Amino acid sequence: MANEFGENPIQTEGDIVTCRKLIRNASVAAGFGMTDVTRIVTAVSELARNVYVHSGSHGVMRWQTLYKPGQIGIQLEFEDYGVGIPDIDQAIEAGFTTAGSMGMGLSGVKRLMDDMTIKSETSVGTIVTIEKWGRAK
Amino acid sequence: MEHSHSKYISNFNSWAEQKRFVDFTDKDVEFLKKLHPFAIEYADTFVEKLYEHLMTFPDTKRFLGDEKMLMRLKLAQKSYFIDLTSGEYGEEYFKSRIKVGIVHQRIGLPPRIYMSTYCYYMQLIIPHIYGNPAFDAETSNGIFSALYKIINLDQELAISAYVHATDEVISRQTEEILEMSTPVIQIWEGVVAAPIIGMLDNGRTQQFMERLLEKIVETNSPVALIDITGVPQIDTATAQHLIDTINAVKLLGSQVIITGVRPVIAQTLVHLGIDLSGIVTRPTMASGLKVALDKLSIKFIDPSKA
Amino acid sequence: MDENTLSVIKLKNILLVTVPDEPGDDIIHELQTKVLHAIEKYQSKGLILDISNVNILDSFFARTISETTQMVALMGGKTVIAGMQPCVAITATELGLHLGKAISTLDVDRALDIFSDNFKLV
Repeated sequence: MANEFGENPIQTEGDIVTCRKLIRNASVAAGFGMTDVTRIVTAVSELARNVYVHSGSHGVMRWQTLYKPGQIGIQLEFEDYGVGIPDIDQAIEAGFTTAGSMGMGLSGVKRLMDDMTIKSETSVGTIVTIEKWGRAK
Repeated sequence: MEHSHSKYISNFNSWAEQKRFVDFTDKDVEFLKKLHPFAIEYADTFVEKLYEHLMTFPDTKRFLGDEKMLMRLKLAQKSYFIDLTSGEYGEEYFKSRIKVGIVHQRIGLPPRIYMSTYCYYMQLIIPHIYGNPAFDAETSNGIFSALYKIINLDQELAISAYVHATDEVISRQTEEILEMSTPVIQIWEGVVAAPIIGMLDNGRTQQFMERLLEKIVETNSPVALIDITGVPQIDTATAQHLIDTINAVKLLGSQVIITGVRPVIAQTLVHLGIDLSGIVTRPTMASGLKVALDKLSIKFIDPSKA
Repeated sequence: MDENTLSVIKLKNILLVTVPDEPGDDIIHELQTKVLHAIEKYQSKGLILDISNVNILDSFFARTISETTQMVALMGGKTVIAGMQPCVAITATELGLHLGKAISTLDVDRALDIFSDNFKLV
């Protein structure tokens, strides 16, 4: 099966919904079940909103589907050019909140996904990469 | 790692590494090519002798099927022997060897029969390596060594494919057993019950949660009994999974009653400091069902008593 | 359903809002404002949010529901969330979301029961 991939800017509030719809279609097409699709799309919503809030309208989401024998996967990357995260461990910890988000933030997203990595540089920006894997049907 | 094997066998690059592992070089390819004309010449004889030998074992014979099947097998075996010395060990070769393993697993041929075929083949070919006037002693040694290497590579691929195919069967069955071991059933109008047998781990909880919630919505049940009589021991992780499930059920607008809380479980929960005080718990499924029915009947005002 | 507008339906002394499947931030903002104004206008004693179509509930939406519930309570009303889908409930739990004081029911019928005169909370 061919890998699908693409990207979408995150510049307006409306882009959050566009990203969600894009990734919903991609995950359904890749063969994820309903609950996993909901997990993935919800993670997208959280991270896209983070980018929108922090990046001053210069963020982007990139995605690609992945295949291993017997497995399907999707990888997403959210990049902003904002202030950066000074303390990543603290940011992942439950309850830590920036810019008025609910505080579930990154720790909740991590629970929904199989893998999450964060690269951040102060006053350059942040890239959050997430991955979800499922059984191929 | 459940899928590391499938990743391994399907990865052509890792086969290149495996070649380096057994030190299979271009020199070996040249040696094998020298043997090729003889392999072609004697292929039919070898196949006939091999099958004659195999047919003397009754339990092997039944894998070889009827005349037609036997003919097909012999043809496949012949081209297999010829390919062994063809000098082409690229992707096509790699794929065909994996296929051999998968096919053998599918028909249920035990690996010992597959393995011993090589042994028998060696016995047949050795006289043509060492007793052959076309080869000097050094060439014979080189051919023997190269043949040994390519057979080792072949076996490794086929056995890996074999194991992978078996792994797939096991993981499919494990999933089916999991599903059967945690049934979710409607036991009353408005009440579903889910007895859990065995430990609740992360993967199992996710699957269980999905099926429980779907059943609650499908049967429009305001009460769900989760019976943990069959849970041998509870730890913090299992308790957390239970709490997650209870919270998710609550979001749907239904309520969980935990039943089958045995003394040892009650002791553990308190010792671990796990707080289930906001949740209705009962020692038996029967007492839990009574609570459920009481809850449901409260919503219906009996006009005769009003 | 037109996703860009939201109707607040008055049913006797209750308000019913059916939320579209992929509610954007603007719809969620609109929801809170419209509901609070309707409660003021009709003196409603409660709000039913029918979210049976909704297939995503993120922290922003959850927070708005929680806050709206508090605001409705300040105006003397009760908020009921009806018909959450299983996949949404599982994801919300894993994400660690809370809906505050909002009550959940399996569907709108059961939500209406809660507002009926002879209903007692168990």
